Amino acid sequence: MTDIKKGPVSGSKPVAHVTIADRRQFLIGSAGLLGAATLGLSTGLGVRRARAQSRAEISFASAAFFGKETFGDLIKAFNESQDRILVKNIELPPPSSSTEVYQGLVQQLARRTGTPDVFSQDVIWIAGFAAAGWALPLDEYFPADKRSAYFSGTLNACTYDGKLTALPWFMDSGMFYYRKDMLEKHGGKVPENWADMATIAAAAQKAGDVDFGYLWQGKQAEVLVCDAVEIITSNNGAILAPDGKSSLINQKAAVDAIQFLHDTVNGTKISPQDVLSWDEEPSRQPFTSGKAMFMRNWSYVYPIAQDAKASQVVDKVGVAPLPAFPGGKSSACLGGYQLGVNANSKQREAAIELLTWLSSTETQHRIALNFGLAPTRPALFQDEKIKTEQPFMASLEKVFTGATARPITPEYAKVTLALQSGISKALVSGNVQAEMDALAAQIDQIVG
Amino acid sequence: MTAAATVSGIGRPRLGKALPSALWALLLLTPAFVSLASVSFYPIINGLYLSLTNTSLITQENEFSGFANYVQLWGDAQFWNAWWHTMWFTAASTILETVIGLGMALILCEAFKGRGLVRAAMLVPWAMPTVVTSKMFGWLFDGQNGIINYILLHAGLIDQKVNWYGSPDTAMTTIIIADVWKTTPFMALLLLTGLQTVPNSLIEAARMDGAKGWITFWYIRLPLLMPTLLIAGLFRALDAFRVFDLVYVLTGGGPADSTETLSTLSYKVLFSTLQFGYGSAVSTAMFVTEGIIALAFCLYLIRQIRRAQ
Repeated sequence: MTDIKKGPVSGSKPVAHVTIADRRQFLIGSAGLLGAATLGLSTGLGVRRARAQSRAEISFASAAFFGKETFGDLIKAFNESQDRILVKNIELPPPSSSTEVYQGLVQQLARRTGTPDVFSQDVIWIAGFAAAGWALPLDEYFPADKRSAYFSGTLNACTYDGKLTALPWFMDSGMFYYRKDMLEKHGGKVPENWADMATIAAAAQKAGDVDFGYLWQGKQAEVLVCDAVEIITSNNGAILAPDGKSSLINQKAAVDAIQFLHDTVNGTKISPQDVLSWDEEPSRQPFTSGKAMFMRNWSYVYPIAQDAKASQVVDKVGVAPLPAFPGGKSSACLGGYQLGVNANSKQREAAIELLTWLSSTETQHRIALNFGLAPTRPALFQDEKIKTEQPFMASLEKVFTGATARPITPEYAKVTLALQSGISKALVSGNVQAEMDALAAQIDQIVG
Repeated sequence: MTAAATVSGIGRPRLGKALPSALWALLLLTPAFVSLASVSFYPIINGLYLSLTNTSLITQENEFSGFANYVQLWGDAQFWNAWWHTMWFTAASTILETVIGLGMALILCEAFKGRGLVRAAMLVPWAMPTVVTSKMFGWLFDGQNGIINYILLHAGLIDQKVNWYGSPDTAMTTIIIADVWKTTPFMALLLLTGLQTVPNSLIEAARMDGAKGWITFWYIRLPLLMPTLLIAGLFRALDAFRVFDLVYVLTGGGPADSTETLSTLSYKVLFSTLQFGYGSAVSTAMFVTEGIIALAFCLYLIRQIRRAQ
């Protein structure tokens, strides 16, 4: 903690002098003067603010999430918890309109005016914001020993070009849903590799117990990239080379993985042809109405599956990490919003203080309970209160351990459009190798 | 004070006389011109200029790059793919809507009981927001629970459920059907007004000469309806060319880019990747194509009118 404390406390000292002068009078004579003298620029700022008898004013922008409370309430709680910093909450559209949230953030950050000082960002924007120089590198505030408190997959997604440019906040990932009752009948063990999954799914389908063996999302949309990242990584493959400058999607590991997805529709026929036009919700509906054995989806499905009004499979659904190929490791596509500080912020110390507070164990605990958004700190999954109030979330630690970031590149927006189109073509036509070669050439051109 | 007032009092009518009447007209037109220019010409010019730059919000570049974007566009398979889809969508939907709309107009032109009600009811699909139509057709053609599959399956026309939006062979056709359902009433309304301008005396004269319904239509109504038909077709074609909502809601351009149109492509380039330069080049290409379509229609229209005279 020493590194963090040094920054914000000395930075906000001049403000503190005047506003709570009575209580700290004894400081003025000694340490306070010394501190003020060494502070240079920020002292000037502090005095000006002090004259107005106000606190350091910063702003926070985030997509609007809802639960038992809003992010506005969260910011209010922060404002009430201390008297050095006053945060203004800028509400962006809800996360379902993520393109609009992205535009809103880019427009503000591109102006380089320092507003918003702190913002939350979808994991896929991090590299772009970092490469544009809009996100402040956070390494000096959060050295290695502090980072070990977070999931490594999330940290990886928050790192660009060797620098930590975002701080993990809350997360989600792809996961494997299964029907407990059906599984008991057809094998009994949650499949850990894709071939086993396909065998059990086909058996259940053949026995007439379910209409569909395995549901996933093949619509030409962002979710297709998530499904692809998971299956490719679980075969030890990758979309981009580690340096991010070339594509590996036409290598054998990736091609075999995409071929597997194609075969679920056309070979083993464990998935209906409809998955090619389904995103999350259309694939969720047959599952919660009891028509499917297995499904890949996000964590939002579980509460719906347990809601007797919307689901025919209450208490019959289990969740596990997605299967892998032999020799590969289960992988879950990482989603969620992470925190960043505006590189042009004029109130850097205050911004870091807000950032630290938002990502702290206490605040993540509160977000988990009140918003149902899963923490990025593994330790919280052992928390008794979370275990009792959000038992499902507590069981996700194993799934999140395999969280894998989507390709980390500042050109992600272009790369994802190419991926969506190329993978969709491969799935529809079945010419996987040819389509992946064309796609790799296209991606090389974008990132090379 | 008085002197000044007198001077200006005398000055005004003189100034009025000094200005030639043409100048007055121009002066009075200025407000309209300024407002039009600011909302119509300026965006077009600015879009054209942007298309000649490498402006991107992400890379923060904003430099003049000549025709580099257009060179890239010329070799961009994705663009041509979207271009052909848009042309196909425009041609197919315009022709279908014109033909069906004409049929509807001919029926509505006849006097029958409850005609007013039918005319009003006919407009309902057109009055619906396109996003609602899209959602509705999404459910109608749903691969698993859609009523279309149910009917076709029970009528024995297909032997297994078809995933209309999940196959490149059927996705575009399904979107065209949705558009035809929605916009045909609009065409019918335009053509109905055209049909009502055809003088009844001509038709009565033809009947007296023994002409049957088909002959009257082919030799009297259709030629007189031609200008309306062409203008309605032009409106419809230009509107169909911009198709966005149906594709955006139903397929997002997929599967395998088979429903990508120029509008959805330019939306993706402009607002997902924030490449304003290249995106403007895509939009400009759209603008130029629309211009060519409009020109072709107008030239044909002028020839028709000349021949009629």
